[in-house]
Amino acid sequence: MADFWIILTGTLAAASCGILGCFLILRRMALVGDAISHSVLPGIAFAFLLSDSRDSVFMLAGAAVFGLITVFLIQFLQRGGLQADASIGIVFTALFAFGVILISRNASHIDLDLDCVLFGEIAYVQWDTWILNGYDLGPSAVWMLGGTLLLIVLCVGLFYKQFKLCAFDPALALACGIPVALFHYLLMGLVSVSTVASFESVGAILVVGMLIIPAATAYLLTDRLSVMLLYSVVAGAVSSAGGYYAAVWLDSSIAGAMIVTAGILFLLAFIFSPLHGVAARYLKRRRLKSAAA
Amino acid sequence: MHELRVKKSPFQRVKMTLSIIMLVAVVGCTKVEQEGKSAVRSGGESKIKVTATIGMISDVAEQIGGEEVEVTGLMGPGVDPHLYKASQGDIRKLDQADIVFYGGLHLEGKMTDILEKLESKKRTVAVSGNIDPSLLRSGKDAGGTQYDPHIWFNVKHWISAAQTIEQTLTEYDPEHAESYRKRTEAYIKQLDALDQEIRTKIGMIPERSRVLVTAHDAFGYFGEAYGMKVMGLQGISTAAEYGSKDVGDLRDFLVENGIKAVFTESSIPTKSMEAVIAGAREKGHEVKIGGELYSDSMGSPGSDADTYIKMVRHNVDTIVEALK
Repeated sequence: MADFWIILTGTLAAASCGILGCFLILRRMALVGDAISHSVLPGIAFAFLLSDSRDSVFMLAGAAVFGLITVFLIQFLQRGGLQADASIGIVFTALFAFGVILISRNASHIDLDLDCVLFGEIAYVQWDTWILNGYDLGPSAVWMLGGTLLLIVLCVGLFYKQFKLCAFDPALALACGIPVALFHYLLMGLVSVSTVASFESVGAILVVGMLIIPAATAYLLTDRLSVMLLYSVVAGAVSSAGGYYAAVWLDSSIAGAMIVTAGILFLLAFIFSPLHGVAARYLKRRRLKSAAA
Repeated sequence: MHELRVKKSPFQRVKMTLSIIMLVAVVGCTKVEQEGKSAVRSGGESKIKVTATIGMISDVAEQIGGEEVEVTGLMGPGVDPHLYKASQGDIRKLDQADIVFYGGLHLEGKMTDILEKLESKKRTVAVSGNIDPSLLRSGKDAGGTQYDPHIWFNVKHWISAAQTIEQTLTEYDPEHAESYRKRTEAYIKQLDALDQEIRTKIGMIPERSRVLVTAHDAFGYFGEAYGMKVMGLQGISTAAEYGSKDVGDLRDFLVENGIKAVFTESSIPTKSMEAVIAGAREKGHEVKIGGELYSDSMGSPGSDADTYIKMVRHNVDTIVEALK
């Protein structure tokens, strides 16, 4: 049963991250997941100072608040004219450093860091179950990530056209009367919620990786957004299952193996993609050359 | 734009997702079995499978369980339990265990949550559980509910941990209660002797030199129990950052009090201590690295610190040798 729950949890996280990752890559903001993984530090520091407890619920609440602050600040700076990468870099380093100061001033004698209190471990999901009225409802990670995925599918499904136009051509979207800023903030809010929820369940490396790699793989395989979203989710699911069995084989970290598998899938797409792959471009150039000769 | 025609309607997508989640819910619904916690071994010849998080706990479980148990450790030598990352094999080690022992008091970081949850499914015991909270060190600024987990450096606390392990084994396997009791008695005798030995050895250090300077705050119980002032550069967590003021303060303290040696730790890099030593040298005070202490994990098998008792003895000998 452990196998099933871990692969399911990995797939749910990968699907949420994969869908959002597609939009982030198109907007050149793929590293926002990595940024959130650092910038939530002041959130857990405040949560600890206010609650005097390292209980997951408080840590999660603190992290969620600072996740949202992070993405809104990034979006705000970007709308103010700063490049996307620069605004991500500024916001997350400044917030992380703020967290370091808070902890060294107020809680230096306590074990309070992201790895210890927030980032979960996918290996243990089957034991962290949600018990309601004496009934074991299965791993709480599955519920949390399932809920997150549902929220993402709802938002993206209902406003697919708007999200799509905002990602590709914000100027045209604005001209069509779509509130572009609102959709940018909505997207970033979804990113924040899903990354923080996933950090708590499966750990940081898995989220940061799944937010970028499957979407980048899909990007190489198609030029259509709907197909890209589908490929991204499939690549994430295949990485979860393949990575899990690789971890069994190697007796290694499960999250690590899942992301390495995603990396291998990306490499395959990078070389063999019929559209943008290295091999396809090489063949095309050869054909052009021989045609010219 | 033609894809808009072929794409599923939003509501179809939502319906699909909902049905997937319902399926998961149905698969996952099982009545919680309470038998795990109260399970008593039903005879048989096979050994009791015990899984322990850190090496020191594995060692005690082996000493007390003897031939009745088969102990599997999760964290090997040199591993920092606060930041431990599980491998796939660890799932099996925890899943197949009859009894799981862990340190508790948040020693195992985020994994503590899981170990606490595991208590409802199988016999999972924190070895620090029977120590009177008033004897535990609470973080200065932690409001009293967050405790220092490094209990093994006060041998008296470790005796309580050994008794907790005996009690757990006896409850699970009453048939062999007598063997467990005998082994525990013998082991506690050894621990009492070790406690005396530490007091005698520390007594050999001149009183004003009884200052233990290390990289990380793991020796609080040791200092409290055996009368040494303990100064660390980092907080209790190995991941907390130390500030430049901390380095400066520690340097000034060393110079003012003429402390001869500082110590590094097996699971922490030595870089931070080197900065302090270099600073003291600039002020004309020579401090040497007194040696490496074992803090959060034991030495590798075959080294002079591959059991709990040897590890503590190694630390005490290293400290006394450098400071006397």
